Order: sequence, then structure tokens, then C-alpha cells
Amino acid sequence: MTSYLDASLPTRSEHLWRYTPWSRVHPTKVDELPAVGELVIESDNAEIKLVSKKNIEHGNDIARIFLDNVVEKTHVLTPENKTTHVQIRAGGHAVAAHIHIESTQPSSVMFHLTGEAEWVGLWLTGNIHSNSQLSVGLINELSSESVLVRTDNWNVERDGEFELATLSLGGQRIKSDIRTTLSGSNSTHNQFIAVHGHGTRHDDHHIEIHHQQPHTNSKLTVNAACDDRSHSVGTGALTIDDAAQHTDAGQVFRNLLLSESARAEAIPELEVMANEVAAAHGAASAPLDAMQMHYLMSRGLNKEEATAMLVEGFLVDSFVDVRSDPVREAMQTRLTVHLECQLIG
Amino acid sequence: MGEMMSDELLRVENLHVSVEGTPILKGLNLTINRGEIHAIMGRNGAGKSTLASVIMGHPAYNITQGTIHYKGSNIEDMEVFERARDGMFLSFQYPAAIPGVQVGTFLRKSVASVRGEAPPPREFRKELKDAMENLSMDRSFLSRYVNQGFSGGEKKRLEILQLLLLQPDLALLDETDSGLDIDALRIVAEGINSVAQNTGCLIITHYQRLLDLVKPDVVHVLLDGKIVQSGGPELALKLENEGYDWVEALV
Repeated sequence: MTSYLDASLPTRSEHLWRYTPWSRVHPTKVDELPAVGELVIESDNAEIKLVSKKNIEHGNDIARIFLDNVVEKTHVLTPENKTTHVQIRAGGHAVAAHIHIESTQPSSVMFHLTGEAEWVGLWLTGNIHSNSQLSVGLINELSSESVLVRTDNWNVERDGEFELATLSLGGQRIKSDIRTTLSGSNSTHNQFIAVHGHGTRHDDHHIEIHHQQPHTNSKLTVNAACDDRSHSVGTGALTIDDAAQHTDAGQVFRNLLLSESARAEAIPELEVMANEVAAAHGAASAPLDAMQMHYLMSRGLNKEEATAMLVEGFLVDSFVDVRSDPVREAMQTRLTVHLECQLIG
Repeated sequence: MGEMMSDELLRVENLHVSVEGTPILKGLNLTINRGEIHAIMGRNGAGKSTLASVIMGHPAYNITQGTIHYKGSNIEDMEVFERARDGMFLSFQYPAAIPGVQVGTFLRKSVASVRGEAPPPREFRKELKDAMENLSMDRSFLSRYVNQGFSGGEKKRLEILQLLLLQPDLALLDETDSGLDIDALRIVAEGINSVAQNTGCLIITHYQRLLDLVKPDVVHVLLDGKIVQSGGPELALKLENEGYDWVEALV
């Protein structure tokens, strides 16, 4: 294990840390390795085994090295052919956990992250075995003061299908670094992220998808609705190795700017070594569509109601292609409740 | 006089409207009473859709002169949603698509906004079912996103479904017949006729075929931002057969 205190700290010239420096999401000071407690992880309908910490490649990433230093155990989940609901509760000053999924059959897992902790570290890893299908949803509803550092490492084997949906609603400062490797031929990964920026939330998602084998497919959709003085960052790094011929990959980042003070960055990056591939990326930032507003207001909705409906639609649309019904419905339901509370509050 | 005022829904007087500094309407006059069906015909670019949009309160249109009175009040300062809640309805020529918003959710919220309270769920479900059956619409419509991926005919049916549910006092129907096949046109026309008795209707159309099914009381010809000719249903037939040159010659 690499010692965090011996590791070199990243500079802002690194793509990964350009928009959210490590110092802004470290729980104390960057030259410290503070005591970090355990996240509470429970499921009503599945067994989660607590084992000695699994050895996961950290790739010299400072956030992973940090988590590797402060987490002592791994929560292992082997989902069965159903939807597993996992509650992740964060209390206290600083808490963290490593959760690992071994997927051997078609299954869905819904994570619901809540709590008041000042700092939360969450490392999700998983292996989607050959011919297996895994759908994972994560809803972040941390308190409005929390800082979240999330790192993911997923591996999809031959003919495996993996979809990952994230609904980011809570927390003050969020840094997510989600990496998926398509290591087996004919494997598929679809990822969907919806961000609701409000207040002074800073939400930074970095998504790496690595196609290593031929006939692999990936699709990434990131929709961020930014209100007040919030700031959303979406950076994508799509890599297609020279062996990954006949890959089909696409990334779309869309930002909806709801106030003049809201900011959004969307930076998709491609590195394509193979020559017989389809790879597309796009990014767009825009305010609310005037025609849509007029249409809704002509049906009796006032400006606030029409805006809320368009924001909800924009974010719900992030998940329209999620194939797992339980995951898609859970995301959409929580989103609706969240936005209705915002409208009332 | 009192009788006239209670029947009068819309009175447009000497209306001049511009968009980004370009004059579109140039002194238009029009009065619609409750229970009347008016048709407006005219060449492309004459200002027909502008008239419907400005009555509904589209913020892009600037009234430079003249007034619009609705139910006896000048509505210049009324917001779009306030006009809708006061019984005004526009069936759009090109209705906006709203990704992520299901038709069922949209209809429920719209009806609640216009009626001032959410309808009881069971009653609303029945009302919706009946209206959809009248328009030969499948229930699966309700779970689709508003106008997203809809054909031209599906969009127009959804507009008429809203007309049936909202039961407006004044219905502005902007080229509701475009994109409809013969069967769909008949169904849509039946929908319009079912509300027309208690509603003032302004139908904007290019074609006689809708007016064969929805009988207008008055037909107007709009030319270069003004109504230049008004008459009975026979005027629409004449336009269908002879075009607009003869009207232009009269002006």
C-alpha cells in the first residue's frame, strides 16, 4: 500500500484536478492523514459481507491512495437476480467506506447516500463477469454542508453489460472520479448522470471509460441543471485502444443554466487509437428554452411552475435509456420529490 | 348593450404589432362573441399566427398601437399564464416538445393550474379516459414525453385533447388541421365542435377542408397585417377556388 503521506500531491495542471483541487476536498489539510470513521452500510434485502480490505489498483490517484489509507475493510456485495437496496449513512466528522460488487447474474443495486457528515469518502468497485448484467443507481442526498469524494473502478468482462446511474442532489462540494474498463470483447457500458446545482453547490464529475477490446460499446449522458451560484463540472476521458476495433462510443454533456451566476463546464476528451470505430462527443450549455416556457405558461403554469417542470424533465431525461426499471423509477421518483420540496421550500 | 357585453369575449381594436422592429399587424380589428366560430385565412406571412400569439400574450411580440380586450378588460398587462387561467387557449401550430415530462403529468398539472385546484384523481382519470376515447387516442400516450417524437397528427391530437380538458372560453386554433389525414381531421373537428357551443373560436387555416367539418359563422381574410374582407362560409369556398388575387385587387 502506498502511504498517503509519501505520495506526491497533484497540481492543477492535471486534467483530473483542474477544476476541484485536492486541497478543497481533503477533510483537513492536505499534508495530514486524519482519523476517518466508517460509513454505515445496510441492506434490508441482501447480505453485505465485511472482509479485509481488497487490494484495488489506485493508479497513483491521490484520492484513491487517501481512501486506501483510511479505509480498513471492504463491504462485499454479490447481488442476486433482483434489486438490492443499500442505505449508506454518513454521520460524524469524516467517514469513508469501500464497497465492492461481484456481479455474476442479471441484477440491480440501488445505493442511497444520506447523512450529515462533514466529509464523506466513498470508493465503489465492481467486477461484471462474463455474460452478466449489472445496473447500479446511486442517489446522493447528503446534507447541504457535506463534502463528498467518490472514486469508482468498474471492470466489465466479455459480453458483460454494465449501467451506472447517478443522481447528485446533496452535498456542498462533490468530486467524483468514475472509471470503467471494458476489458472483455462485446461488453457494454452505459452511464447516466443528473446533477441539480443549487445554492453554492460545486459538483465535479470526471468520467473515464476505457475500451480495451473489440466490439465494445459505451454511452455517457450527463445533464446538469445549475441554479443560484452553483458550479457544475463534467470532464470525460474516453480511451479506445488500438485493439478495440469496431467500438461504438458516445458522450454527451448538457448544461441547463438557470441563473446568471450559475456556471457549468463540460469538457469531453477522446483518445482513439483504433481506426474502425465510431466515437462521438458533444457538449452544450443553454438557458431555459423560451418556446418551452411559453408553451407551459400558455397552459396555466406560472413562471416558477414552468421552470420546475422543465428542470425536472431535463434531469429525468438523463435516465430515459436506463434499462433497469427499478433503477430508473427510483431515480425519477427521488428527483421528483426533491424538486417538489425545493419548489415548496 | 348589457346583453352584447356579456356575449363579447374578444375585441381587438386597431392592433399594430411588431417583432424585433418589423411591423406585422397594421391596424387589425376583430370581435368574437361567445359561441361564435371565426375563421381567418390568408397567405403565408400575412400575420395570422402573429395574431394568435399576441392574443395569447407571447412576450416576443410588441404591441405598438391599439388594444385587446378580453371579457371586457384590457389584457395588455396580463401574463400568459393569467390569460390561460382566465379561459384562453392556444392550439399551437408547432407545439414545443418537453423531454422528460410525461403527457399524463403535464395534463394533470395544466388542468389543476387552469381550474385553480387539482381535480380529484378518480374523476380526472375518467374525464381523461373519455376525452382520449373521443379522439381515438391510445392510453400509452400518457406515458410518452410531451410532443417528443410525435408525428404531426399526434401533436395536433394532443392539442385538441387539451382543448377538451381545459374547456376554454376562447380557443385560438392555429393551423390545427395541418399534418392531419382525413380520418384524423374528422376526429379533431368533432373535438372542436364539442366545445364550440360555449366557446368563442378563432380558427386559423389555409384550407376549406376543416371548415367543411367545423362550420364558421364568419370568415376573415388577412392581408398584410389587416383584415381586408369578412363574410360567411361562402367566402372560404371562394378563396379555395380562386385564391387571394381577387382580394388583393379589391384592396
